Amino acid sequence: MALLTPYSKVPELNTATVLLVENEEELQSKLANALVQYEKDFNVNVRLARKLPLPVENKETRPRIDLIVFLVNLLSERSLQSVESSLAHLHSDCFLGKVCFLVTDARCGSHTQERLVSVRKLAAAHQCPVLCAEHRTVDGVNAAAVRLLNILKVSAGMSPIATTALYLSSLTRCSVTSDLEED
Amino acid sequence: MGKRDVQIFFLLFFWLGVFLFIMEGRGSAVNTPASRPLTRRSKSYGRSCVEAPSYFWQTPGHLTVLKVPTSRGAAKSQLITNKVDPEHIALLVKNEWKLSYVTPLHHFRHTQLKSYSRHLAAFIAAENQQGVAVEVGLEAGFKVTFTAVLGLAETDEDAETVFIQIQSKPAFAAAADAPKVVWRGWLTCVNGDPEYLRSLPSDFVSLPLFCTSGSESLTTLVKTWFERAFDCNFGSLALNSTTLNWLAALWTGCHPTCNIRHLKLAWSLPTQPPLDVSYTVNPQDAWELWNSIHPEESTDDKIDIKEVQSFINGLETHFFRHFKIYLSAGTLVKVSTALGSAHLDGKIKIGNSDYITTLLTLLTESALLKMPT
Repeated sequence: MALLTPYSKVPELNTATVLLVENEEELQSKLANALVQYEKDFNVNVRLARKLPLPVENKETRPRIDLIVFLVNLLSERSLQSVESSLAHLHSDCFLGKVCFLVTDARCGSHTQERLVSVRKLAAAHQCPVLCAEHRTVDGVNAAAVRLLNILKVSAGMSPIATTALYLSSLTRCSVTSDLEED
Repeated sequence: MGKRDVQIFFLLFFWLGVFLFIMEGRGSAVNTPASRPLTRRSKSYGRSCVEAPSYFWQTPGHLTVLKVPTSRGAAKSQLITNKVDPEHIALLVKNEWKLSYVTPLHHFRHTQLKSYSRHLAAFIAAENQQGVAVEVGLEAGFKVTFTAVLGLAETDEDAETVFIQIQSKPAFAAAADAPKVVWRGWLTCVNGDPEYLRSLPSDFVSLPLFCTSGSESLTTLVKTWFERAFDCNFGSLALNSTTLNWLAALWTGCHPTCNIRHLKLAWSLPTQPPLDVSYTVNPQDAWELWNSIHPEESTDDKIDIKEVQSFINGLETHFFRHFKIYLSAGTLVKVSTALGSAHLDGKIKIGNSDYITTLLTLLTESALLKMPT
């Protein structure tokens, strides 16, 4: 089974690549546009996918992926299920700071609260951060893009202070409180 | 040459060197850190909302306590008529109820129900006449009755159910006509979380579930009166999809003892325009599916949430196989069997009085969870 590995290719100069994985494909394109158009001093390549594993045909031409973002829509159970099945296709090295979860619609209703808890437990088990985003307005998408860019800068090794993805992940990983863990 | 597993330890130095990863084969596993220091904060009851998500670091908050149970006992049939007056039961069954949650009532006495009925009748009459003073006890157009329905409470901490009826004479009725019931409501607490109930101060009575049936204006009037008299707060209770899943599984599990006649699920899929799917399952087939997941002969009486989820997954996969539609991309809106029906908006109907305790336990729990502290 071909796993997605983070360090098997050589990085390009002043470029960072981010992979957005989303089952519904509604936030992906908006977020990709916001990421590319935001003013920054390095190039960003955005690749989109519905789920992992990625198609084998593109393996040679695909650049090194610095950050993998899983977009989860909390209103649909299917979104969470497809993310759980995609996680199995990642090499374990990726979880050292190269994976991030972005959830949307976290404030809509009571059934999203339980899904949010399960996303947080999943992220805590894999030591990855969880970001909440609001995808219906332009401002929300831009804000999410800015936060992703901050994480991307560190994951791609472009942060001026010697911060690596590994160090950042120990600061930003999702923590689950002890009461939630008792279940 | 053996494999080398390199475990990476997190050391918080501010100036970090370069980490060398030497991996041969896929042996290394990322270990979750060994014990985080467990600081038990003082328990605060109620579910506070999730912390502000805009910060990168998440401080462990004091999010506790009314935990959502992951397993519960199977639905047991009870000849509830042994404990409760059958007339009262008849009042509860066969009506569609709208649910709300109530915060604990201050100084509510089950012994003063008659005076409460007079006060409420006067209040409604006064509201209708917009501020004209009405003497308590005068015959107004509305007649209110508060009754205590004894026997529904399961544990010692549960308060007794209170049933409220408002009757009025229609506008052009003759003097001999009996007044018609225009509004019904009941406050109940069945199998509420015992720790929470014990933690309430002694003046408070907790009856967290409020079911109403009747016109909206009367419902608002009753709620306002309660809020003024007992310093409580009302809020609408929308059911969770997990609660609906539990109901589907529990009701299916009752099939051998009581024929549920059908298991109807209504889904709503977020397409343009929204697609409504009504999925009716033969009760015997549903029961066989449930039996294969949770065998009836198993001595363990507890049903786990995972079994409920695999039951729903089974139904969804079957639907996908025939129609190629992923039901999990939508939301479960309504579950109905012969034992009752429950809608996502918070409307329930009780079909059969035998399993009423299970339904009310689930609803009391969701009311307690939804209640703000």
